[in-house]
Amino acid sequence: MSVRVGQGGQVQLVGVCGVEDAEALLRHLLVDPGVSVDWRQCDAAHTAVVQVIACAGVTPVGPPRGRILIDVVELLLKQR
Amino acid sequence: MNEFVEQFLIECRELVEQATDDLLTLEGQPDDKDRLDSAFRAFHTLKGAAGIVDFDAMGRALHAAEDVLSDVRAGREPVTPQLISNGLTCLDQVVQWLDAMEVDGEIPPGADAAADAIVRRFDGDGQPAAPPPAPSTGQNWIQALLDRHGPATLALRYAPDPDAFFRGEDPLALLAGLPNLIAVEILNAGDLPPLAELDPFRCHLVLGALTAGDAASAAAMLESVMERVEIVAIGRETAPNLPHSASALLEAQLMLLAEPAAEGLAGRLAAAGRASGNVLRHLGRTAEAARLDAIAAGALAALDPSALATAIRTVSRGPLEGPEAPVADALPAEAAARTLRVDVERIDALVNLTGELLVAKNALGHAAALAAEGAPVAELASQLKAQQAVLGRLVDELQRSVLSIRVLPMRYVFQRFPRLVREMMAALGKPAQLVTEGDETEADKVIVESLFEPLLHVLRNALDHGVESPTARAAAGKPASAVIRLAASRQGEHVVIEVSDDGGGVDVDRVRAVAQQRGVASGEALEAMDEQDIVDLIFAPGFSTSTQVTSLSGRGVGMDAVRAAVERLGGRVRIDSRRGAGTTIRFDLPFAVMMSRVLTVEAGGQMFGIPLESVVETVRVDRERMAPIGAARAFVLRNRTIPVIDLAQALGAREQRKPAGPASIVVASAGGQLGGLEVDRLGERLDVMLKPMEGLLSGMPGVAGTTLLGDGRVLIVLDLQAVLQ
Repeated sequence: MSVRVGQGGQVQLVGVCGVEDAEALLRHLLVDPGVSVDWRQCDAAHTAVVQVIACAGVTPVGPPRGRILIDVVELLLKQR
Repeated sequence: MNEFVEQFLIECRELVEQATDDLLTLEGQPDDKDRLDSAFRAFHTLKGAAGIVDFDAMGRALHAAEDVLSDVRAGREPVTPQLISNGLTCLDQVVQWLDAMEVDGEIPPGADAAADAIVRRFDGDGQPAAPPPAPSTGQNWIQALLDRHGPATLALRYAPDPDAFFRGEDPLALLAGLPNLIAVEILNAGDLPPLAELDPFRCHLVLGALTAGDAASAAAMLESVMERVEIVAIGRETAPNLPHSASALLEAQLMLLAEPAAEGLAGRLAAAGRASGNVLRHLGRTAEAARLDAIAAGALAALDPSALATAIRTVSRGPLEGPEAPVADALPAEAAARTLRVDVERIDALVNLTGELLVAKNALGHAAALAAEGAPVAELASQLKAQQAVLGRLVDELQRSVLSIRVLPMRYVFQRFPRLVREMMAALGKPAQLVTEGDETEADKVIVESLFEPLLHVLRNALDHGVESPTARAAAGKPASAVIRLAASRQGEHVVIEVSDDGGGVDVDRVRAVAQQRGVASGEALEAMDEQDIVDLIFAPGFSTSTQVTSLSGRGVGMDAVRAAVERLGGRVRIDSRRGAGTTIRFDLPFAVMMSRVLTVEAGGQMFGIPLESVVETVRVDRERMAPIGAARAFVLRNRTIPVIDLAQALGAREQRKPAGPASIVVASAGGQLGGLEVDRLGERLDVMLKPMEGLLSGMPGVAGTTLLGDGRVLIVLDLQAVLQ
């Protein structure tokens, strides 16, 4: 399980988030559109997951743990 | 260049315009049979023209386009956005070729490879299996990426298959593995579906990336998805690895050019041009150095550093297009139409006038003979007077006819915008519709041709800053697609052009904050300003620090440049903004640039002309009411402090004793500022045909041109903006 709800109610992305996690993340965001997404423990995220974050327009709480997320994805989400 | 090629270039450009216009209309109205036929004919004729000059590659590319259009005409193919995009890309390529040929008349090298790429595009079109990739957005996305992430050697655009996730692809991971990756962005961020409609298993993203690597290894990396990837090499030769010393030198030239002072501009222009040319020669980029020299010479002649600055920036970054387009950005900008298509009726009118003038000349001969025979003075005088009246009427008519030959319809400049707005729209992710009105409104050729840059900038601003994002528009209850109106109309001796959008209007608070932050106006001054004054600040020099590079307007061209361009043409710019409802920018331009109304004044024993459009009023002020302020003087006019300059002194004349009594002041407006010019005497108002300065005097600061007075004296007409600065 790499999408889970933390104690404060925030959605946490943990470890390697695969394509199947996109749907879970989308569900969380649809239920609570303002919820914060924390990816400080995230090592990698599939494009499908990034797409959900991009469509939701949220800025995840970071920095993420994975190199690619820091180097590529974080910047990409900031450019929107 | 031989006449043959010249004719080819003229015809091809007209056909490209026609075809572009047709394709854009077809995109909105796919069932318009006439437009389809017209587009087909234009492509067909273009192909024929290419054949005449033995330009096989161009013929091949156009043939591919023609084939597809022919299928559409036969009902075998529908009009798809992809087809329109391919057609436009093909026309873009043709324009690049034409630009290259304009330089040396030769068929550009590398045209074959480019033609192959075009043919491939059309070949792939016949397979409706996969949904077409998002329409190509031209090169704007590259510019946008470069703006944000700095120089790169390779730009990639990757529109993954919507089913990519099913196939186990991870597009971002794929791009992240590119060697020497600089940045990745979502290019269609504005077009993503809202969360509630998102199918998380389909890929909706279009990704853009910049790398500092080479095309071959990138292509190898992306081989599995190559048909959905567009790779564009940025720069060639030494551009990507410009030695530090060279880029520092070029940067220094840019700073030299950026100095605002008008003094020594010619010297700075010449020095910057020479130094930049030498840098390029040193790097072995001799062809580009030669082009830069030509641009520098043009900039020097026009005393306008912008073209040179753009060119230097272009070379320091490397030509943006592939190898087949040599510095295409910088050159065609100055290629104003040297040929003019004139309605036969207008030529006929001139011929008729010539006939009438001959009659009038003969009548004068008759009068001269009468005078020689010693006819009575009274009779002679009445005859001469009658003939002078006839001649006067004819000369007036002749002048009108000649000026009317120089007019062009606004269509000439307007028709370039739908295409560009479409590209900007895609790059910015804001759907919009451009509505043009008054395309047939005519104005002097010089004016119409000079409007492209300022209008482009205003349109870009409207889309970029005026129009809200689709979500903000939805929240405000506006339709998702914005409407930008570009309208021209003739109002008396003026031509009015308006660009209005239905966006959010100018954000007054933001303008105030930015103006203060950038030191455009002090806090107290800003406090005292009303809303309109604040909105006007967007025209102030230094307000815009936009780092946006467009291939057409260059970097850092703010609204102050728009105002300067319009004022150079003798016009004025106004902005009208309503919060939440939109912004209108209005250009008020003279119909003919050659005819000017001037007010004559005398200063330092010489007569000068001041363009009447800059004159606000003339006043007589008692000398004791003028207070010295620093080295200058000022007086108060209706609660406004007007600084006064002694015109004779400003023009370098020796100090003279002023005539006694109140001073004559011309209150004039230049660059949005009011200033007073003290003159010895006010003269009359004249309609004059202004002749620009030529030869050695062409660069003279402060002089707009000259004209001949009735008594044969030369009247120097001042460029007030330069004098008041």
